[in-house]
Parts: sequence; structure tokens; C-alpha cells
Amino acid sequence: MSHLSEDRFDQLVSSERARDAAPLNTWESIAQRAREEGLIRDHRTAMWVTPWMRAAAAVLILAGGITIGRYTEGESVATASGEIAADTPPVSPSAPARFSNVDEAWATLERASADYQSASAFLAVNNSRASTAPDSVSIYRERLAALEQLMRATASARENARRDPVINQYYLAALGAREATKQQLGAARPASFRLKGF
Amino acid sequence: MLIDQLDLKRAIAGDERALRRLWTRHAPHVDAVVRRLCGDAELAADISQEVWMQIFRALPSYRGDSQFGTWAHRIAVNRTLNALRKIRRIAKLEVDIEDDSALVEPDTDRTFIAESIEQAMTRLSPGARAVFVLHDIEGYTHGEIGAELGITPGGSKSQLFKARAKLRKLLAHLVDESPSVAGKAHVAPV
Repeated sequence: MSHLSEDRFDQLVSSERARDAAPLNTWESIAQRAREEGLIRDHRTAMWVTPWMRAAAAVLILAGGITIGRYTEGESVATASGEIAADTPPVSPSAPARFSNVDEAWATLERASADYQSASAFLAVNNSRASTAPDSVSIYRERLAALEQLMRATASARENARRDPVINQYYLAALGAREATKQQLGAARPASFRLKGF
Repeated sequence: MLIDQLDLKRAIAGDERALRRLWTRHAPHVDAVVRRLCGDAELAADISQEVWMQIFRALPSYRGDSQFGTWAHRIAVNRTLNALRKIRRIAKLEVDIEDDSALVEPDTDRTFIAESIEQAMTRLSPGARAVFVLHDIEGYTHGEIGAELGITPGGSKSQLFKARAKLRKLLAHLVDESPSVAGKAHVAPV
């Protein structure tokens, strides 16, 4: 039986050396395996999770702190909210809102954000009992510092997710709470002091 | 490659797009060596997936001493040979390699006509194929091949000689397809 010449064979080997082939797997199968092993991490999630979670935790702590504060002062939450009951429709947590389209949901979200800020501003002006507490200045200063951190975290998160409703909600909530706290702090301090910045 | 360096940091951080770019850029070459060493497409696909997982796991250890493609290629060779060992193909190879492993299935060789060198390589024993691929395609030295396969450099040379002879025989019908060597066929009988 004949053989291919050495020259011709070397040509074939050279061609084979330079030849690439189609990948043996699809990227989807590779990615799935990599994701299972934790080698792929959702980049955006990785960037968001920490500030997002911090924002969520901070808002919850803030809201919880206000609620607990009112209870410990002997004033029920229902009484406090009753002050603005005439302007604000009652909210029923057991009856979640239903939306027929995205625009409707966005409109509701924006309205809720505006309501939250209005309520925060109202409380800042009218909740005089809290502002006269003995340690109210230090409490407000600590809260303001925490809210500044929250603002930075949510603002950073918004850089990557400008249309994310959850992050926007936390950002707006923090913004409203910060402004309200500034007013509370200003009201709680002696008249000779003026809050020029933080 | 600069792009590799930029993608590398993102890939280490788990950025799917960066990992995908590395895979897209290097899979054709990396997967090719896996396929050649395995000689079986289905097995090669399985091993290739393992190879890429190993490459991704090892990304933090890549120091840039060599090109990324070269580094990934080395992982592919090592991982493939390890995988083949695990399924006892290399174990058989290491026994066969001391025998005349280039001579396989002589009865059917007469009727087998390889259309390409890749196809012809499937007719080699796993050991002979590994030596041929590593030396002639991947550019390993006989010393390196000996270290990889657990054989002597002399054994590697011997296997390469036999593998090349076998391949030239299987590809003999291609002699007329190259004008540059027309008339030179059969000048190097074995």
C-alpha cells in the first residue's frame, strides 16, 4: 500500500495546526455550569445587592424606629396618623393594588413617593413632641448621618438602574426622610444655632 | 492581548459577558486540541466543558507570563489527558504505547479512506494519537510528552514515527490533490 509523501503530509499537518474548529459546546451550556459553580455572578446584582440591601435595611430600621418611638412615648401610631387622615386616603395592606399596565403602576409609584415625602415633611413640622425630647438633637443627628449614607448608596445604585422602581423608591424615601430630619433637627436645636449643612 | 487583560479582571469578578468573550475568542483553538486528543466528538464535548470550568476556576492564578491563549491551551491539554486517564483510556495507552500501538485494526485499514488528517487520526490508538497531536500539532518536545504521558522520550519518538507512517498510509489517496508536490508521490516509502 502506498504512502503519502513526507512533504505533502507535512503540509496537511501544518494546515491542521492552523485550523480552528467550532466550539464543542454552546455558551449557554458552559454558562449554566459556570453559574452552578458560582463562577458567574450576576454583575448588576453583585453591584446592587449591597447598597440595595443596605437601603432596604436602613428604611426598615428608620420606619421601625419611628413606630417604636411613638409607642414608647405613649402615642399610638393610629393617633399619629390620624392627624393627616383627612388628607390621606387610608391604606389597606391586606388589599394590594392591582394594575392593568406599566404606566398605571409607574403613576401609582410616583404618587406614593410624593405622598411619602409630603407625609415626612408634615411630620417634621407637626410632630413637635418628638422634637422636644431631651436627646432629640443627638437622635436626629445620628439619623441624618445614617440617611446620608443611605442617600449615597441609593444614588450609586441608581447610576446602574435609573428605571428600577424599587431602587428609585428607596432613593426617594431616603431623600424625603433626610429633608424631614433636617427640619426636625433644625427645630430641635436651640434658637441660637442654625443648621447650615451637614 | 490587551483585551484579554481587561476582560480578565471582569471575568474573575464573575462577569458573564467577560467570560463569554474569553470563551468566544479562545474556544475554537482550545476545543480543537481537546477534540484531537479525544478522537471522539461526544467525549470531547464533555471534556471540553470540564476544561472550560477549570480555565475559569484558574483565572485568578493567571499571571500574564504567557499569552492567555497559550495558558488556556496548556490547561486544556493537561485537563484532557487527566480526563482520559480517569476513564482508563490513557492507562490503556500507557500499556499499548510499549507495544506497536500505531498498528490498529489492520484489516479495516484497507477499506478506510480518510478525507482529512483529523479523520485519519481517529484510526490511531489513543496513545499514538496523543503523541502525534502533542508533538506535530501542539509543538511539545519529546521530553514534555514523556512527562505528560509517563513514557520515555525515546518511546515518544518511536510512537511518533509509527503514527506518522500510519497516517501517511491512510492519507495516501490525497497525493494528487497538491499540485506543489505532484510527481513526488511515493518518494518516501516506509
